[in-house]
Amino acid sequence: MSTGRSATVLILLALLVFGSARADEPLELAVKATYLYKLAPFVTWPASAWSDQNAPLVICIQGKDPFGPLVDRAIAGQRVAGRPVAIRRLARIDAGSGCQIAYIGGSDAQPQPSALREIGKAPVLTVTDDPRGAAAGDIELVLQDGRVRFVIDNGQAQQQGLAISSKLLALAVRVKR
Amino acid sequence: MRRRDPDAEQFRRSRIELSRMGGLQTGFGLWPGVRVATLALAAAVAFGAAQARAQSVEELQQLSIGELSNLDVSSVSKAAQPLSEAPASIFVITHDDIARSGATTVPEMLRLAPNLFVAQTSASDYVVTARGFSGNSQAQSFSDKLLVLIDGRTVYTPLFSGVYWDMQGVLPEDIDRIEVISGPGATLWGANAVNGVINIITRKSYETQGGFAEVGGGNLQRYAAARYGGRISPSLTWRAYVQEVYGTDTLTSTGAPASDHWSRPQGGFRLDWTPRASDTVTLQGDAYYGTEVATTSIGGGNLTARWNHNWAGGSNLQVQAFFDRVVRGTDNAGGSGFWQNIYDLDAQNSFRLGERNLIVWGGGVRFTQYKIAGAGSLQFSPPARTLDLENGFVQDTITLAKPLKLTLGLKLEDDPYAGLSVLPSARLAWTPSQSLMFWAAVSRAIRSPTPFDADVREFAGPTLFLKGNPAFETEKLTAYEVGVRAQPFSRFSFSASGFFNVYNDLRNIEFTPGSFVPLFWGNGMEGYTYGFEGWGQFQATNWWRLMAGLNLLSEHLKFEPGASTLLGIPQNVNDPSRQATLRSSMNLGPKVTLDADLRYVGVLPDPHVPSYVELNGRIGWAVTPKLELAVSGFNLLHDHHQEFPGPAGQVPRSVFAEVRARF
Repeated sequence: MSTGRSATVLILLALLVFGSARADEPLELAVKATYLYKLAPFVTWPASAWSDQNAPLVICIQGKDPFGPLVDRAIAGQRVAGRPVAIRRLARIDAGSGCQIAYIGGSDAQPQPSALREIGKAPVLTVTDDPRGAAAGDIELVLQDGRVRFVIDNGQAQQQGLAISSKLLALAVRVKR
Repeated sequence: MRRRDPDAEQFRRSRIELSRMGGLQTGFGLWPGVRVATLALAAAVAFGAAQARAQSVEELQQLSIGELSNLDVSSVSKAAQPLSEAPASIFVITHDDIARSGATTVPEMLRLAPNLFVAQTSASDYVVTARGFSGNSQAQSFSDKLLVLIDGRTVYTPLFSGVYWDMQGVLPEDIDRIEVISGPGATLWGANAVNGVINIITRKSYETQGGFAEVGGGNLQRYAAARYGGRISPSLTWRAYVQEVYGTDTLTSTGAPASDHWSRPQGGFRLDWTPRASDTVTLQGDAYYGTEVATTSIGGGNLTARWNHNWAGGSNLQVQAFFDRVVRGTDNAGGSGFWQNIYDLDAQNSFRLGERNLIVWGGGVRFTQYKIAGAGSLQFSPPARTLDLENGFVQDTITLAKPLKLTLGLKLEDDPYAGLSVLPSARLAWTPSQSLMFWAAVSRAIRSPTPFDADVREFAGPTLFLKGNPAFETEKLTAYEVGVRAQPFSRFSFSASGFFNVYNDLRNIEFTPGSFVPLFWGNGMEGYTYGFEGWGQFQATNWWRLMAGLNLLSEHLKFEPGASTLLGIPQNVNDPSRQATLRSSMNLGPKVTLDADLRYVGVLPDPHVPSYVELNGRIGWAVTPKLELAVSGFNLLHDHHQEFPGPAGQVPRSVFAEVRARF
């Protein structure tokens, strides 16, 4: 074994032992986490959705949280229309939970359909990520041709008093009226 | 599919027949002595690859929502995630890799796996192996130690345990990933997982909605495909596809056309239904019909139904049934061939037992009905049978300590010829950090006897020349493996593994004392092989990814005491001792991709095939997100080169231009 190769192997071993690099980051999840706040500029909430002008945009994650720290990193330093962005994790959600956007992960305590029912007509943009479409929120993330796309239930969003911009509607795979 | 009458007229020449007796006779002269290959295993250079890495969540902040929705996330798919924890030598070919290779057939896609040996033998046919044993067609020894699955359906033929690669078409656009495991895999894999498992997984129909069309052509192949996916109700989605592969002639050693052109039109569908969040039901099927060299016909169809149920506590039940019909024949030699119908039912259940144990157990039954219409010189006795193969397995993954997991497995397999086999395995995984895993495994695997081992009758004129051996036993392997998989930096990952395989009762050829003929199959070879498989992936920049792979193999077989040494050692092993690959994938701006793939395959010792270096490349231009134009070049460095012994199968340089559209 040449000196050069020995050195390479040694460096490699050292990296193995001391390297504390992050594990592979699932891109699909990272994209979904990024969507959560990138959707906001395309949605207009009624004034009643905010306590005051400087209140943060609150993104709630109800039930099962697939993102972990990814979503916290995604929103780090981000502002939407001048508002800071905050993440709140909840086991149960309802109309008064104070969320503007809610990712509905579902849990045994509160499965997705009942979480969506509890929110009802409150002005909360609901996001689901159930490929089987069992219970869909206003925005349903779907995988298509290896890309994370979304279906928009515009009818439901309008009933909640949310106005979704035509630019976002145009990007949707499908728009339910 | 079209059902065909199981009448001798209809059935034509089988692959077995193509390489029959004539070759065996001339074989005597070919191997005057036993030559044991003495191959040195070089020092293990750690080069490996794992999954493609792309943008971090911080980098995604810079993208617009439109760019986000157009970002291909498939190369790091969700389901591939648990694989990185699997204690085995696994390489995952991603959807992205396939799309960027320009490959239209499964064996060409398999060239992307650095832990396989892939050799094209004719326009339509290939030899694919892991860890050696590519066989020798002149000794009627075929590569027969791989388990190949397409969406859970096993596709090797029980007639001789090999794979007809010309019959395994999958629409490249619908493939989610191909998991390539070198080594015996685990207890969970089905029969014939001796030296490797190739697991082709297609996307669910809700992931392939909308239209896709591709047409392409070049000097060696023409290709056309169309797929459409739709939604019947929120919980029920479907897709259907058609595709046709047309391959022109390879060349003979003198450079003349080998007249082995072929075509295979194919169609299929997939339905995914989720009646409740806890249940998924999949129904899928394919049908194809092909012609090769104008006189050989291939045809078949399959239907798979699968039900998956998840309980709230994390337990899971999967039940799968499939039917697979294969028909092959030729007009040559008076018409010979075969049909086979496989009926298979499998179930498996997984659950947690206490805090430390994850149990998976299950079983399956498989019936293979077949009829072989022999030509004059090649017969089977009996010509028709129903084979039944049963298996039951249990596996326990025990968390010994937080980073240390021990997987113990036991599989019982009852095959129609050799009876019950007990196949234990043990795997240990140590994961000191999220980005580092060491693993070691000891496992036992077998290749069960087949009709070709037990029932074949070959004639030279009126003389019975070769006879199958009803007492043929299983070929046995005990495999010892160690490996490491790591991602020392976010941009670099690698996998390295070494194996030591001990084989017993490998097939050899015996002669009758006194009269010499009939020859018959024995279990007279044994020995060991060892080797190294490594690959590494380096994301040099956000737009440039490099991958390198190295595959070393050393084979040491000998005859068991008392065995005939007829045809020598090369009848079983004729494999390259070294292979290497270097791949570069570039995104030149958001619209242009440039890929190059350089491969080196070492010499096949006996029969001799020279080593070669070849280069594939592809440039793709996404004119719009819905329209891509691409030009690929295959085997660009030589006018033609040979990959496997044989009179034909000189693979010429080729170019291929294609258009892909989505709607």
